[in-house]
Parts: sequence; structure tokens; C-alpha cells
Amino acid sequence: MEKKTKEEFDVVIVGSGIAGSVLAKTLTNAGKNVLLLEAGLQAGMAFDPEAAYKNYQYYIDTFYKASAKVPNSPYPNIKDAQSIDVLDIEPITQTNSPSTKGYLVQAGPLPFGSDCLRGPGGTTLHWLGSTPRMLPNDFQMQTLYGQGVDWPITYDELMPYYEMAENEIGVSGNVEDQVGPDMSIENYGEGYVFPMKEIPQSYLDQVCIEKTQNLKVKLYGKEYTITCISTPQGRNSIPNPAYKFAGTYWNKKAQKLELAKNNEEYEPVGAIWDQNTGHRCEGNASCVPICPVQAKYNALKTLRKSDPKRLKIITQAVASKIYTDEITNAITGIEYKKYKYENSTVYDTAIARGKIYVLAASAIENAKILLTSGIANSSDQVGRNLMDHLVMLTWGLLPEKAYPYRGPGSTTNIPTFRDGEFRKEHAAWISPIDNWGWSWPVFSPGSDVSSAVSSGMFGKKLRSHLNDVLPRQLLLHFECEQTPDPNNRVTIDPQYKDQLDNYRPVIHYNASEYMKKSFEAAKKVSDQIFAANGVEDYTAYSVANDPDYVTYKGQGYNFWGAGHIVGTHRMGSSKEDSVVDKNQRTWDHENLYLVGCGNMPTLGTSNPTLTMTALSFKAAEAILKQLEN
Amino acid sequence: MESLFQTNNPKRHKIISDRFDTIQLKSSGEQFETASQETLQKKLEILKNDIQSAIELEHSTIPPYLCALYSIKDGANDYAANTIKSIVLEEMLHMIMAANILNAIGGSPAINTPNFIPEYPTKLPKITEDFYVSLEKFSKSSISTFLQIEKSAEHKPHPGKEYHSIGEFYASIKRRLKWLDKAIEGGIFTGKPELQITTEQYYGSGGKLVSVYCLDDAILAIDEIVGQGEGIDGEIEDPDHELFGEGIEYAHYFRFNEIYHEQKYRPRDSPQEPPTGKQITVDWDAVYNMKENPKMTDLPKDSEIWQKSYNFNKTYMALLNNIHDACNGNPQLLMQGIALMYDLKYKALELMKIPIAEGSSITVGPSFEYVE
Amino acid sequence: MNNHVVSSNTFLTISTYLTGYSEVELLGTGMLETYFNVFLEKFSPETLHYFFAEVDEILLESAGDEDQINAAIAARLIPDSAYDGIAKNIILVWYTGNWGSDVISTQSYQQGLMWDTAEAHPPGAKQPGYGSWANLPIRIPTK
Repeated sequence: MEKKTKEEFDVVIVGSGIAGSVLAKTLTNAGKNVLLLEAGLQAGMAFDPEAAYKNYQYYIDTFYKASAKVPNSPYPNIKDAQSIDVLDIEPITQTNSPSTKGYLVQAGPLPFGSDCLRGPGGTTLHWLGSTPRMLPNDFQMQTLYGQGVDWPITYDELMPYYEMAENEIGVSGNVEDQVGPDMSIENYGEGYVFPMKEIPQSYLDQVCIEKTQNLKVKLYGKEYTITCISTPQGRNSIPNPAYKFAGTYWNKKAQKLELAKNNEEYEPVGAIWDQNTGHRCEGNASCVPICPVQAKYNALKTLRKSDPKRLKIITQAVASKIYTDEITNAITGIEYKKYKYENSTVYDTAIARGKIYVLAASAIENAKILLTSGIANSSDQVGRNLMDHLVMLTWGLLPEKAYPYRGPGSTTNIPTFRDGEFRKEHAAWISPIDNWGWSWPVFSPGSDVSSAVSSGMFGKKLRSHLNDVLPRQLLLHFECEQTPDPNNRVTIDPQYKDQLDNYRPVIHYNASEYMKKSFEAAKKVSDQIFAANGVEDYTAYSVANDPDYVTYKGQGYNFWGAGHIVGTHRMGSSKEDSVVDKNQRTWDHENLYLVGCGNMPTLGTSNPTLTMTALSFKAAEAILKQLEN
Repeated sequence: MESLFQTNNPKRHKIISDRFDTIQLKSSGEQFETASQETLQKKLEILKNDIQSAIELEHSTIPPYLCALYSIKDGANDYAANTIKSIVLEEMLHMIMAANILNAIGGSPAINTPNFIPEYPTKLPKITEDFYVSLEKFSKSSISTFLQIEKSAEHKPHPGKEYHSIGEFYASIKRRLKWLDKAIEGGIFTGKPELQITTEQYYGSGGKLVSVYCLDDAILAIDEIVGQGEGIDGEIEDPDHELFGEGIEYAHYFRFNEIYHEQKYRPRDSPQEPPTGKQITVDWDAVYNMKENPKMTDLPKDSEIWQKSYNFNKTYMALLNNIHDACNGNPQLLMQGIALMYDLKYKALELMKIPIAEGSSITVGPSFEYVE
Repeated sequence: MNNHVVSSNTFLTISTYLTGYSEVELLGTGMLETYFNVFLEKFSPETLHYFFAEVDEILLESAGDEDQINAAIAARLIPDSAYDGIAKNIILVWYTGNWGSDVISTQSYQQGLMWDTAEAHPPGAKQPGYGSWANLPIRIPTK
């Protein structure tokens, strides 16, 4: 039975992740009435201190008790709005095609390796928090390197929105450190500083930097000089007294968003249950999947700064279909299914109405809803160009103890291969130095214990063996930039639906030669870094190790998903080959905006959240302009 | 929706009347207006000593509160544990703010001397009331001691060099700071500003640290200390003022009283009466049974439990040394102090679980003793 | 057969030889009773009985000689065929806090010895405080 809601809002937003929350906060504070639909459970939307604390403690306990501490492990995975879970990823074989083990229907040939979280606050609840900006050259991949497409905007156009995003997230970092290919203080502008000082680089970083900084490496006949820099990140640190911005506001007169000046010192944003908790990162070393003190940014911090009088939130409301006016093509409403309780098969259907509609439900869900509704797709690009960073990992033992498993996931990165002529031949990458030992590829330290014990080791010998090995573990990442491929895509199929009768996304996915060559290249670089540091290489790739296994020139490589799900409704300068324009409004519907990583035409080598947040501010500005004119 | 965006950073409940200012001081030495500069300097030295005592007073409550807190078993007594934790964090903040005041008037906080650590059971420094504070587990009896610590005094003149309550002691400090700052030529806030601990080094739970560069800062710091501690005294001029309820963070006394009575205050409750609101679940038995006022000498010397206890106290000393150094010219050292504080906690938790002897139901407990 | 008592004391003693951690260190985790009960639940009384009888015998005949105890453990407790693998499981439980892949309790996760051995802490618990990761782990010398 369909109910029509009487209320009409200025804007209806689907999803309370960072993109949706930035919109809700910016628009309500500019005086607009907003309805926010969130698919996840009501409990996760608690903002009064006691309920918010209780709910979050429940997440933490669930995390403690999870046998595999994967990114989504602390959070409820409800059948009414399932999340993608990395535990469901399996090889796609002749007898297992498509793989339907989890929420995604994986048609292959390779399984898509990343997850995201459907629930209040979205994937920011388990994001790592690294916030490097994209490079200016990343916006012109076709022009400069003949790969992918150019963006419809330049780095310079995005700069003011980057500043808003860094303010909103609360970035800690050192601008002066941000030097590398196509990257210098110029990228940030004269005198710019981050809200907080850099997160201290780990002891392990310092050990690695000693022999890696300015190391010369050879790759395909060319020499490169490796550098190591501190990584800007969205977790609380010491406020930078030189930072002078309060927050983003709508300048009605100038019809633009601006950062307000602040004469007070920047104050870190604490936990949602207690503003005084989480003013500094406390080194829980569990950023993914959960920061127990919420020193790491999450979108609920933004959402709670919305104007409560102008925001209505409906939780347990899964957007299912978008209706359009046949004559004007304008959106007339978003149908949603409101389920009664966790895993309930009982639900009511209703339609949310507003002047403007925004999908902020994640790259895959946005595409799925559009495909379901048969809209916004005159370009035939909806669902296509699905991208991720393909993460190649290498691991080994340092000659000395560097004490990993401490601090945030990564505090230092190697920017050397983020940009260069080689992008014509193979993917660029950023290399974070990892602080958490071999936990990602081989589930250390548990696996080290069990293999030592199975070999018959016990007692003091076991203890000293583990004490020798675990503190020497080193893990390097190579986050390789996947280029857009129209065949890497999300589709829908009536065979595959969830229990609310909504489509499950069907994923078609592969890694191109351009990507595989970057694995070869990255491994060559890794070998030279390991050699310079005296690292004993323990890297081993196999399909048993990780289902994303490829071969290139006879060598096998594993890659892992980075959780950077991008590109399914890309932004462009013409309606022929893109879904949204540079303001993230759909070319086909003047009152429908899409926000989130799905808009990114190419990925670059930076973690996409910061850029996506900047774009969300840009969308908010365009929506405000549209509403007021 | 209403509760959704309730601010969770309420203005601290700070309706401290300046009642103590109006109390006639019994002692004669407070006639600053007519005193010579030399006498005033002597008075300043006495004041410095008293602020040092204030630092010791703040510190002396921390080990007992920590013992109660760490004795609570994981997962039990969430409400009580969170309450005690927030209070002890405020006491730590108070200690640092008191050190800031002392530094601001040219004193030097002494935080790592043998007599800085009281021998428990102990009377509170500078406080006349006749009760002893012990290192003991979370219990009705320990909470009732905490209530006495945080209780505000009756209106009566203090008998000489001691005071009826912490609030009264601070009121005297505040008044003397005001008067001496006025009476002494050039004022008394002559301490080096770089000695101050700032929000860069001290942050988070417990509230915002006040750095002290002038009289106004010192008054703010004291009001914060007393406001968080005793808060109101039950003689509110404005009867319409809501004392309790959601979002109001009221003083320590009342927060302990809620635990004691296993019940929350309601907005219209009287401060003189027990709380009448929602029940709180308190499980007085879900507690590690630590020995009361443990001493290293109770343990067989050089045994492994003795070593554990010694190691705990070494960590405690390292922490006090760190805070001492941070408050005496190296504020940035406090960052390492935080790591020591956490380390101390995890070591205390171990001692809460280790039986004092094989088969004993009593556990070793942290002894908070001075060791070389 | 002798009527050996399956006791948490013996469990603790043999745990020290199996894990390389002292009794006091193991007691400091607060997990002894929980883990002992796990074994009572997971293994048949008969197997437990034989295991504890063997442990008692090893301890008795070795009279505190550590090398001798270790040799006996290696020969008589560690093989997979010995007592359904109780000994190896004792090690795994103390080190990981898990029974197989199941986390025994929220506390067992936090008390896993492997984090202490790694000179780190369980992710999401026992956090060491801002900036601590930039320095060596804290070491307070014991007398």
C-alpha cells in the first residue's frame, strides 16, 4: 500500500553518509527544509548522549566479538538494506558464476574487492581517514596521458571546496610536507594550513624513512627518487593556531558558499556522545573498522550540526524508485520502503516529495536506484566505469624492531609514483607505509601464533619467537589508480532481488593490462625499497590468499579492494558521455542531483573521500542557487 | 527529533555564589590594605604554599577515585564507571590548573617529592573535617567517603589554617589572590608565561584547561575547579533554576550521590534531598576485591607480585616526574605523560585481578606509593 | 587410575609452561576461570582427566626442572594425537582469546597475549594515548 506524505520539502536527500550529511547540514543552515531518508537502523541515528553512547558501545562490543575484524564487522548488516561485505568475496569460477554469496551478485571475471556501509553515518564510520588532495594533473588524464577522461572542472576550481571539506572533516596535517610530483605548497595556496597539526609519524615510519628517504630506484630504465611525507588525515590532533576558519556558510548576497573567518582557536570536534571525548587520536589502532573515541571524523559529526528545526530524518527507509513527470521530465517523488524493525519483511511504502532531490546513497546504490527507475541515463553511462584503487600489498620483516600495530593505520606515504609520464603506460599509485603489521594480507598476529603453535612451538620459545617477529613486520601498500572502463559496471537483473523486493546490484569487473603492468612496476619498486631497508620479503600471492588474483607476464599478483568505490554516474562536460554536469546535477532532470564518489570521472591516487566532500559542497552551493532563483 | 540535536557540551553548572567572599575571616593577617610590602610578600609566600597544598589536595583524591574506578569489572556498572571516570579526569584537570595558578604567581609546583603522595588512609590536606580517605574498591562505603570529599561546607568561619571544605579553601585562595594582586606593587602575576600548560598539551575529557596569565584567568580556573567539584551549596537564590536533568553536568557531590542512591536526580529535585528520578543499575558485587590500602610491604619482597606492584609504582613515579617536569618548564612533555597515564591504568587493572596469595579472594590492588 | 583432580590451579601451572608467561602475568589478565571453563565445556571429562593426570605426572617427575618439563611437554602433550590437542588449544586460547575462530568474550579479545608479545595492544582497546606510536613502547624497568 502506498502512502503519500503530505509534507513537501525543499530538498529530499537519500543517505546520511558524508555526502548526504554535508548537504543536510549546509542546506538546513541556509534555511532550507530537508528530508533525509536513511536505509539503516534508527538506533544508529541516536544523538542524545546516552543513546548515542549506548549504540556506539554496542558497535564496539560487536567488533570485539567479531571473529574476522573486517571493515563492516562492528555494524549491523540487516537484510532490509544489506551492506557489501568483504567476507563474501570469493573467486568466480565456471561453476560459481555469478557468485551470489553476499549482497552483490558478482558476475566477474574478477570479484569486486571493496565494501561500504549502509547505515547512519555511512562508510565514514569505518573509513581509514586519509585525506590527501588529488593532483592538478589528475583532472586531465585524457589530455596529458591519453587515459580515461578529463574532468569538467580543474583543480583550481575545486580548491575553495577542498578548503571547506578540510574544515568539515577536521584535517590534521602539515602543508609544507605535501611535496611530490605535481604537488607542492602551491597546490594549497599561500599561507594555507590545515585545521590541526600533523598526526605524529609512527616510530615504524621513522625507521623506514631513514633508509628510504631520497632512495634512488630504477623502473623501466628510468631513475626515480623516493620521498616519504606525512599523510593529511581526518582525525584529531593539536589545533594549528594559524588556522583561521570557523565553518562553511551560505553567503546569500554573493550566492555562494564561503568559509567563515574565526578569531578563536580551532576546536577539535569530539564524539557525538561527549564533545570532550576524542579531542586527540588516542592510538587505538582500529580506525578501520571503528574509532572507539571518535577522534576520527565520521559523518554523524556533520549531521548533528544541521539545523534541527529544518531537518526531518526518516530511518529504516530504503529508497526504491524515483518518479518523473512524463512531460517535463522533472522528478516528482522518491518512493521508499520503511521496514518496521531489523530484518523485518514487513514494510510500508511511501513517497517523499521535495523541490529538489539528491541521491547520496553510495556509488553502487545510486546507480542501482537510477537503473531501477530507468532515469538519468540518456548517456548510457549509469552504472558504468566502476573503479577502485587496486591495492597491491608487499610484506616482509625488517632487520630491527619497529613496533607496528600501534597508531593510526598509516601516517606516512610515498608520493613518488602519483604522477609522471609513466601514466601513459601503467597506472599511477600512492604508497602508504602501513602501521598495522601484516594484519591485512595474512591476518597477523593471529596467523603467526597459529603457525608457530602448529609447528610445535610452545612456552618461552614461542613467546620470544613472536616477540622477535611481530615487532619487525612491515607492510607496504601500492594503491593503483584504476582507469574508467565502460565494462566494469553495475547492472540489475530481476533474478536478483533482496527481501524488500529491491534489486541487488550485479557487478561486472576486471583488471586491465594497464592495471596489471602497474602491479609489475610496483613490485619492482617494492623490491628495491625492501633491499635498501634490509627487509626479508615474505610476500606471497595466490588465489587461495585472496580471490583477486591476476597474472602478468607469467607472474601472479594479488590485489585487494581499497574501499574506494567510484565512478558509476560520472560527471562530464557533455550529456552524451556523462550522467551529471560539473554541479553534479543530472543532465536529464533539472531537479535531480547525484552526490558521492559515483561522480568522479577518474580516481587519481588519493583516497577519494576528501575530493567527494569538496564536490558535495559544490553541489550544495548549486542547489541553494537553484532554490533561490 | 527534539533530543536529536541536544547539545552535549552543556555549560558547566556553575552557580557558585561568592558566598565565601562574604565570610568574615577570623585570622587577623588578612588586613592587606594596611600591610607593608614586606608583609605582603610574606603573605604571598604563604599563598604559594597554600596553592601547592591545593595541588596536593587535588592529587590526593585521584588514587582513591582510580581504585574505585579500576575495581569495577569490565561491562558492569557502566553508569557508575563513566561517572567516576569523568570526575577523576576533572580532578586531574584541577591539579594542572592549580599548578598553572602557582606558576602564574612565580611559584614552582613540586609534584614528585616523597611527601607529595599521601599515605593512605589519609586526611585531606588542608581540610579539617575528620574523615579518612582510603584506597579501596568501589563500594557503598567508598562512595560515601567520596561524598564527604566533595561535600560543600556549612557557612561557618574556618578554624585557622584549615578549612571545612575544598570550596572554602579555594575561596580563601581566590580572595587572597585578588587582594594581593591589588596590594602588591606591580601585581603578583609575574610568572613566566611559557611555564603554563595550555590546551595544546592538555585536552579532552574533564573540560577545557585554563592557562593563567592574570587575575581573571586565575579566578576562572578556581571557579571551574570549585564549580565542577562542589558546585552549588543548596542555597540557590533563584528557585526557578533547574539544577538537575539531561544535559546539565552537575557537581561531583551530586553525581556521586546518584550512584550512592542508585537513582538519578530529576530537574526539580532539591539539593538537600536524595535524588528521586530514574533508577540506575548499580551492581555493588561486580567488583574486584582489592585489598584496602595496599602496601608493598604486605607482599613478600622481590616476589613476582611485589615486582608487579613495584613496577606499578615506578610507572606512577614516572608519571609524577613527567607532570612535575611539564609544570616546571617543559609543557610539551605532558604528551608522554598521557601515555604513562594509560600505562598506569593497564597495570592497575592487572593488579586488580591478581590474588594477594594463592587461593585468596582478595587481590593485590595498586598501592600508589613513592618508590626510588 | 588415580583420581586426579581437574583443577584450575593445575590448568594455570601447565599454562605457564605452555605459554611462556608466568602465573602472575596470566592471573593479571583475569581470564583464568573463563578459559578453564571453556576447556571443561569443549573436551570430554575423560580426556580432561587423562590430560590432567599426565600434567600432574610431568610436574611431579620433573621436580621443577624446566628443561625436563619442556622436554616432557614436547613429547607427551604437544603432539596432535595427545589428548585431542588440549595443549595446543591452551596456547591458542591464551594468546588469541579465541576458541577456533570464535572470540570467547569481549574481554578475551582484549586480553589476548599476542598483543603483549608484539609489544602493542589489541586494536580498539587499551589505547596508549596521543602520539605514543611515534615513540618506542613504554618500558618501566623492574627491580
